[in-house]
Amino acid sequence: MLEMFSYDFMQRAFVAGIIIAVLASVSGTFVVLRRYSMISETLAHSALVGVAVGLVAGLNPLWMAVVVAILSAWLIEYLRSEFSLYSDAVLAILLSGSLAIAVIIVSLGGAFNNSLFSYLFGSILSVSSEDVITIAAFGTVALGILLIFSKELYFIAYDEEVAKTSGVKVKLLNFLLVSVVAIIIALSIRVVGSLLIGALMVIPTISALQFRVGFLKTVLISLVFALVSVFAGMTLSFYFSLPSGATIVLCVLFIFIVSLIANKR
Amino acid sequence: MKFTVPILDVKDLNFEVKGQSILSNISFEIFSSEYIAIIGPNGGGKTTLIRMLLGLDKPTSGEIKIFGKKLEDFKKWYKIGYVPQRASHVDSSFPATVLDIVKMGRTSQRGYLSSFSEEDKQFVQDAMLKMDVLDLSDKMIGTLSGGQRQRVMIARALASKPEILILDEPNTGVDMVSQKRFYALLKQLNRDDGITIVFITHDIGVIADDIARLFTINQKAIICNDPKQTLSCQEMSELYGIDAHSLHVHKHEH
Ligand SMILES: Nc1ncnc2c1ncn2[C@@H]1O[C@H](COP(=O)(O)OP(=O)(O)O)[C@@H](O)[C@H]1O
Ligand SMILES: [Mg+2]
Repeated sequence: MLEMFSYDFMQRAFVAGIIIAVLASVSGTFVVLRRYSMISETLAHSALVGVAVGLVAGLNPLWMAVVVAILSAWLIEYLRSEFSLYSDAVLAILLSGSLAIAVIIVSLGGAFNNSLFSYLFGSILSVSSEDVITIAAFGTVALGILLIFSKELYFIAYDEEVAKTSGVKVKLLNFLLVSVVAIIIALSIRVVGSLLIGALMVIPTISALQFRVGFLKTVLISLVFALVSVFAGMTLSFYFSLPSGATIVLCVLFIFIVSLIANKR
Repeated sequence: MKFTVPILDVKDLNFEVKGQSILSNISFEIFSSEYIAIIGPNGGGKTTLIRMLLGLDKPTSGEIKIFGKKLEDFKKWYKIGYVPQRASHVDSSFPATVLDIVKMGRTSQRGYLSSFSEEDKQFVQDAMLKMDVLDLSDKMIGTLSGGQRQRVMIARALASKPEILILDEPNTGVDMVSQKRFYALLKQLNRDDGITIVFITHDIGVIADDIARLFTINQKAIICNDPKQTLSCQEMSELYGIDAHSLHVHKHEH
């Protein structure tokens, strides 16, 4: 078990993975309760556009992913609040549109190679120390925002209109939430991959909901599930040479199934 | 005098959707500590009216003043407790205990960083005690009966110490005994705590003695000011439906 920690890249991957597990599960609770699950998939694909731009232009792909994901989140939230456009269809269009743009950028720029592939499925081998610093810095800000506004976000998740009529700044907080989710997703695609991050964000919370406990306990259970999945997923991925993102997601799914059966009534 | 400045002042309110009139020329005043019941047929515009009062829908024209302030300038939303129509149909898997829900009522009076204060806890306790849900504190909201949920929703609204309580048909799916108890609680809130109540309901007969005035909304509004005539007013509006408005206009002309 300890052998894997003798490798620098594994240490980096674990630090990044643990931060991501915390961020994805805490933000995931709000995302799921708001029925925003689909937005995480869409943002994960928008982040790829940033990665593509980064790879082609020689900029930091992670930073670019953060920027493009935030812009995309604002666009979605703007369409939703100003035009009441918030159907699955709009999200689906943005999702496939982003993917198409990302692929075109990369192939035009002649960078269609393993680099993009590693962002699609995640790769612990490729987490650099610079990545870890970026993930830690942005992650701290994102988590801070979620904690500061947790009361309000919870109220909005429960009933947006009642929250609004009792004086909660719903519009502002919605923008803030999608921005934070965008940041977290962009940070996560390095380790988990853009095709799989949605699962890490959503499934721990759905599993925790099966226990039918109060808010704080639900957040904590979902946090523990995400941490266990990332830890187990990375360990398995190291010893059996499996891709990290997919292994983590399989662990999450396993926990979900167990939660479902254990709470069957 | 308390009764001179209306806490809700609505003038010539119109609401149209795609050129079709949903509400037209609604005007009324509501004064502090009044108990108002609103009735009217389904689709008559009761919910729409309330949503405009709360700033959730924008009127096509007309003016709304709350506590003497224009709606756009009104900031003290904690003074208004709102329980929407669908309130008791909470998603049963929503992770909230009764306490979690009632605490939401204090959210907007807390600074972002600060956690709930002793005062908040006291207000939450008071509201729960008043609505008789203190012993349900740790129960999950999804496991409660309709009547219990209804009381939790009101407790949440009361936790902000509102001066007005606006209830939109909160009694759908609640059994008779719970309803009676609920009406008694509302009456108590109005009489003992002086809370202004605006109550959309179908059960006008049961609360006829409690209310000060009755509004009938069916695209237009007729307002019965005399509590003793409440029932005949209701019969009237039921008989005349929309046309009852002309009765109202007629009355004004004299
Ligand atoms: N934003 C809106 N868009 C379209 N129709 C609306 C809108 N708001 C209200 N309506 C219509 O206005 C009418 C009144 O509805 P409502 O206020 O819910 O009545 P009530 O609460 O009295 O049953 C309904 O026919 C409803 O379809
Ligand atoms: Mg209604």
